[in-house]
Amino acid sequence: MAAEIFHHIGKPHLRKEDVRLLTGLGRYIDDIEVPQALHACFVRSPHAHARIVRIDTTEAVSMPGVVAVFTGEDLVQWTTRQRMAPPIDGLRPMEMDALPMDKVRFQGDPVACVIATNRYLAEDAVEVVEIQWEVLPAVASMEQALRPNAPRVDDAVPDNLLSHQSAKYGDLPEAMVSAHRVVVSTFSQHRQTHLPIETRGCIADWDLGREHLTFHVGSQVPHPLRTTLASRLKLAESQVTVISPDVGGGFGQKIALYREELTVAAASIQLGKPVRWREDRMENLLASSQSREDFCRTRAAVDATGKVLGLELEITEDFGAYSFYPGNYLARVVAMIVTGPYRITNYAYDVKVVLTNKVGNGPMRAPMAVTSWVMDGTLDAIARELRLDPVEVRRVNMLRDYELPFTMATGEVLADVTPSATMEAVVSAIDYPALRQRQKQARDKGCWLGIGFCNVVESTTYGSQFYKSAGISGSGHEAAWIRIEPSGWINASVGLGATGQGYESSLANAVAEGLGISPEKVRLHMGHTDIAPYGMGSRGARGGTAGGGTLYLCAQQARDAVLKIAAFTLGVTKGVQLRMMDGRVQQSLGGVWTNTHLGLEDIARIAYLDPIALPSDMKPGLEFHLTYDPPPMTYSNACHACIVEVNGVTGAIKIERYIVAEDCGTVLSPVVVEGQQHGAIAMGLSGALLEHVEYDLATGQNLSGTLADYLVATSHEIPHMEIIGMHTPNSRTPAGIKGMAEGGVMGAIGAITNAVNDALSHLGVVVNQQPLTPMYLQNLLRQVKQQTKEVHS
Amino acid sequence: MSREQSITLTVNGKNISFQVEPRKLLSDALREDCRLTGTHVGCEHGVCGACTVLVDGRPTRACLTFAVQMEGHEVTTIEEIGTPSHLSPLQQALHECHGLQCGFCTPGIVMTFEAYLKENPNPSEAQIRENLSGNLCRCTGYQNIVKAIALAAKRMRESAHHGS
Repeated sequence: MAAEIFHHIGKPHLRKEDVRLLTGLGRYIDDIEVPQALHACFVRSPHAHARIVRIDTTEAVSMPGVVAVFTGEDLVQWTTRQRMAPPIDGLRPMEMDALPMDKVRFQGDPVACVIATNRYLAEDAVEVVEIQWEVLPAVASMEQALRPNAPRVDDAVPDNLLSHQSAKYGDLPEAMVSAHRVVVSTFSQHRQTHLPIETRGCIADWDLGREHLTFHVGSQVPHPLRTTLASRLKLAESQVTVISPDVGGGFGQKIALYREELTVAAASIQLGKPVRWREDRMENLLASSQSREDFCRTRAAVDATGKVLGLELEITEDFGAYSFYPGNYLARVVAMIVTGPYRITNYAYDVKVVLTNKVGNGPMRAPMAVTSWVMDGTLDAIARELRLDPVEVRRVNMLRDYELPFTMATGEVLADVTPSATMEAVVSAIDYPALRQRQKQARDKGCWLGIGFCNVVESTTYGSQFYKSAGISGSGHEAAWIRIEPSGWINASVGLGATGQGYESSLANAVAEGLGISPEKVRLHMGHTDIAPYGMGSRGARGGTAGGGTLYLCAQQARDAVLKIAAFTLGVTKGVQLRMMDGRVQQSLGGVWTNTHLGLEDIARIAYLDPIALPSDMKPGLEFHLTYDPPPMTYSNACHACIVEVNGVTGAIKIERYIVAEDCGTVLSPVVVEGQQHGAIAMGLSGALLEHVEYDLATGQNLSGTLADYLVATSHEIPHMEIIGMHTPNSRTPAGIKGMAEGGVMGAIGAITNAVNDALSHLGVVVNQQPLTPMYLQNLLRQVKQQTKEVHS
Repeated sequence: MSREQSITLTVNGKNISFQVEPRKLLSDALREDCRLTGTHVGCEHGVCGACTVLVDGRPTRACLTFAVQMEGHEVTTIEEIGTPSHLSPLQQALHECHGLQCGFCTPGIVMTFEAYLKENPNPSEAQIRENLSGNLCRCTGYQNIVKAIALAAKRMRESAHHGS
């Protein structure tokens, strides 16, 4: 598809959000003043797994400033249970109360809520809530969870196996039998957390007279959150307004309705007063959603050239203790797309999701992050075993342009992707042959350079059809409205939930393009359920295609109406072409576009204030509403290359160069897209190198409750990132938009790990787990020395 | 609960007095008692840097400081640095270089470098990264923040040069 020519889409306008955020005038949850608001603070379990024998709140209730102390026994009267039981084969149902009454399932599980006149007093009272526990043995790892007779995390899930699904495509047994070799690789990804710099928080304000709840909360999905909140409070959906103001980062952590939020809302209704809650950082690290912990094993049947004849993938995911999402929600996508840009038709997967006494998992920026590391890490293992060049092995297996669109073994259709182009661009940019030469020379001097590649096919957008075919409940459609006001200014809205992506700027470009006006005239209103139309919010890199696409189509509808009024007003005959350009109506005279005397403000004036002058089949006003269900999936693609130096003495990793070629289709705003690429790569590198939610294997205690323990990359660790941009439009979406913003994570964790393996390849050790800490690498190196000694002695 | 004390300090050039519990954090006092909500609280243990303010001109973690310690001191917050119609050179550069996304860590970064660039008008990229490493940003990957700080420094040097 030839690229369309755009006037506003793709222009590097600076962000509209910036000025208020730079001057301290942003409005995050804690900045909203609510007179007379009470403050909530939660009593949390000190144990990973324990029965609640008795909760004594007597002393807490009598503390200064304390208004109430609520426990699960109170909440159960005012709320419904959450039941997570979509009809999916191999998935067991799970239920959850507002606050647990029988037992706690992880350290940090909330069991009671103190409401006081200020936060300091609420925290004082939390200290004196007396709880008698009967401590139970904890399940602190996947391996422990699957042991026979393991303690049950959820009494209704007998063997801790929440979900188990498998599928086979093609003839894998034949591929294994006829293979030159079968290469086995493992990949162990560790538990991480989203760590938005603004923690969670909310303000619930019950209006007793109107019987209406106003709920301020930083949310990626304001409308779905409203649906769940109303239902669990036994309210009509018309009785709840969710307002999500400026949000200090989400990354997937601000999607589900948390039990703390439900409790605060119920408390406000019971007390008839506004109640607010701000999570502190320790609570964020102990009790907000976590992600990623899984173990993958691949078995690749290959011929002598490294061509993959068949692939088998096993995944076991540690899902934590509660089901805020269906158990198959995260790992299933990995299994469906793992073959990525490679021609692999004989394929089978087996995915197990197990429960442990840890925080319940949720999607984190690139929930399928491990995918590309698993696939490209497998190809690197093949290259090592067969003594082939890793780039050559990728070339042998990669889909050629003429093979596209390509239906993957699982039925997913790859279209409008350019994996060869992105890989060759990167290979050429780093001067690969020269780099291999330099690596050899460096190695002779005892300096260990490594070159790692990772090809990424990033699943984005997730239309309704994908959910249906993956057996996951949910819809992927989006909704928008656009109003051309009587003065010619534009208000617009869409059901996304901004958490820093710059929607007010990038989406203004989409509206401006569709309508033929300047983006300066457009103002986006989001994050308010009474203002925005019901949409599915922000997740799965759907903002661009679902959000931007819906607005673009809605703007075109508005433009058509404007031009119809213009044609009628100008009295132009059929065959004369009109268009909107920068807010002016233009007509084509002899192939040249010329301004007419009409501007958008003139049309708006007629539509609102002189409707008699409209064409007879048109109604007054210029208000437009549109819903749109995007294709089941749109794919962006990229190749990441990372060059590292590993210190053989300390195990430290230094990133010498980081370069990416990414094809993410038509971009609404190159400014925003570059920022998303940087941010995603940084999150991937930070996760692969440092971040680790760690639980003690004996007690299930969380060992990473502060930012001194949960390390996150600073400006020191994140390298300069070079980006080669490519823009092949998607042929099935409005304006050719594809999603992006998660692929950077996928590529980064693969590229850095593959690079470290490349640096150590001459030693015969394989790095197969993250994080790549100096301790871990030193340990591996020590084993090599030990083995060498044994051989020589 | 301990008894409230009266304190007098200067906030953004204005002398103010108010009653405060000795345990109240400076970050909470600025946000609640002074209604200056541009100072953000990200970790309450001094790691993330979002709450950075200037105390007598030096960058300080407001979450590791008690309000009562500020008796007689001069506190400067993000609200004093620039206004929407008049951004500081650093704020302007952050805007132009896309040096912020969600914006939650941004005031802390601005405060850190408003002070730093006064003493270090010509920092190298390595020096910028070194000094920025006390502020966590989860959105940007730091690259455009580094770029913005270098641009602001350059412009400030040029305008100092022209002004002299």
